[in-house]
Amino acid sequence: MRYGGDNRGRLLIIVLLVTSLFLITLDLRGVQVIDGLRTGTQTALTPVQKAGAWVVSPFRNFLSDVTHLGRTRNQMEKLKSENEKLRLKLQGRQTADAQLKQLKGVLNLAGTAGYKVVNAKVISQGSSTSFTQTITIDAGTTSGVHTNMTVLSGYGLVGVVKYAYANSALVQLASDPAFKIGARIAGTQQIGILSGQGTRKGVLQLLDNTTQVHKGDALLARGSQNGRPFVPGVPIGEVISVDNSPGAVTQTADVKFYSNFSTLGVVAVVVSGDSADPRDALVPPKPRPTPLPTVTIYATPGAVEPTPTATK
Amino acid sequence: MSLRRFFYSFPIFFTVFLLQEAVVTQMRLPAGGINLLLVVALIWAALSTPEIGALTGFGAGLMMDVSQTSPGPMGHWTLVLIIACYAVAFLGYGDDNIRGNPINIVFLVTIGVVAAQLAFLLLGMMLGQEVGSISNIAFLLAGSAFWTAIISPLILKVTSFFHAIIFGARAHL
Repeated sequence: MRYGGDNRGRLLIIVLLVTSLFLITLDLRGVQVIDGLRTGTQTALTPVQKAGAWVVSPFRNFLSDVTHLGRTRNQMEKLKSENEKLRLKLQGRQTADAQLKQLKGVLNLAGTAGYKVVNAKVISQGSSTSFTQTITIDAGTTSGVHTNMTVLSGYGLVGVVKYAYANSALVQLASDPAFKIGARIAGTQQIGILSGQGTRKGVLQLLDNTTQVHKGDALLARGSQNGRPFVPGVPIGEVISVDNSPGAVTQTADVKFYSNFSTLGVVAVVVSGDSADPRDALVPPKPRPTPLPTVTIYATPGAVEPTPTATK
Repeated sequence: MSLRRFFYSFPIFFTVFLLQEAVVTQMRLPAGGINLLLVVALIWAALSTPEIGALTGFGAGLMMDVSQTSPGPMGHWTLVLIIACYAVAFLGYGDDNIRGNPINIVFLVTIGVVAAQLAFLLLGMMLGQEVGSISNIAFLLAGSAFWTAIISPLILKVTSFFHAIIFGARAHL
């Protein structure tokens, strides 16, 4: 027998639907109670998330290894025997070392630019089922982290603090579809707007159609007033392809972010930037080919050949 | 009576919510991962009457809305889940072909998860949210369907067990 419903049931559905619409209206009008509810929930959840991060970290590392197996198979095969001995020694310290490496990278970047930063560990990554790209870090307002602050990794821009709670903060990643940042190309100083696309690739829209952008150009943040939400000079990514469609109103280019958002362990929040713009000082150096040793032989006509038999 | 019994299910959903926020989000599963609360809510609805299904959607939606990772306004997931859970419960109610066969429930829940996410996306677009590229959306929806199809058979028995404790043995698979 199919369900026909009754008046009481229909009334319940209507009441629930109206309540949810009422909540949406209240939230969109900026009612403080709703914000307080989310803040309170996050404050209560932070210790649980920290405990969860500690418990899950071995499984997460294992899953990460499995995920990247296909891409790095050849490299792994080559290094497998060499890594085996090291792995045994470093098994207990792998996580700490990885975080230390990321921390050093962040501090190097922040030190070069003269940023004052607060370091934080990533304790949670937002579910993509809501079509957003976020992470949660374990530093909040008590550590000086507030909304609209730039977040860095050792490679460059990670995102911006969207919400700051007492002991944690939600960071909107640069890959989030709603993320937008004013960017300039290192060297030529052309400016444009970079938008996240939900992946590690962003789209740069240049403001001036007469200028040229090239594959391999490095992108830096233009910066905002008082350094919030973005401090100037932060490396964002590298142009990987340019759309030169004739007749296009604006020139666009695909950009690969320097930061790998799926492997973030330690990040830094810029709590105050240097008053001076670091300009292009933070552009990562281009990889240099390893020089091959060359041997030059000078031969002088009439001279004795430098062979072992020429000593008589 | 059903309403009172429904409130007994709150600790179960709260535990799932904690698991989702503290454990599942840490796993960084490929292809967008899974929302455990969404899957459990839809399974629960599939085993319930439409009224209880709608109430389940309301409760689970509220929990998903207070999650800090929810991008939309409060009530966004609530509205979507009331409709999704009601629809799933309505389709399954009184039809033993669906209720009596776990494969049908898994299929119904997988379709429900994708439909709920699509509805969430459309409502978000109407409210002015950025949703990203179509290829990324398609990838995330496919990933979500994949993970739901993997996970829901594993948790169906447990969910059905707790549902039977609260609402009686009739819905027990």
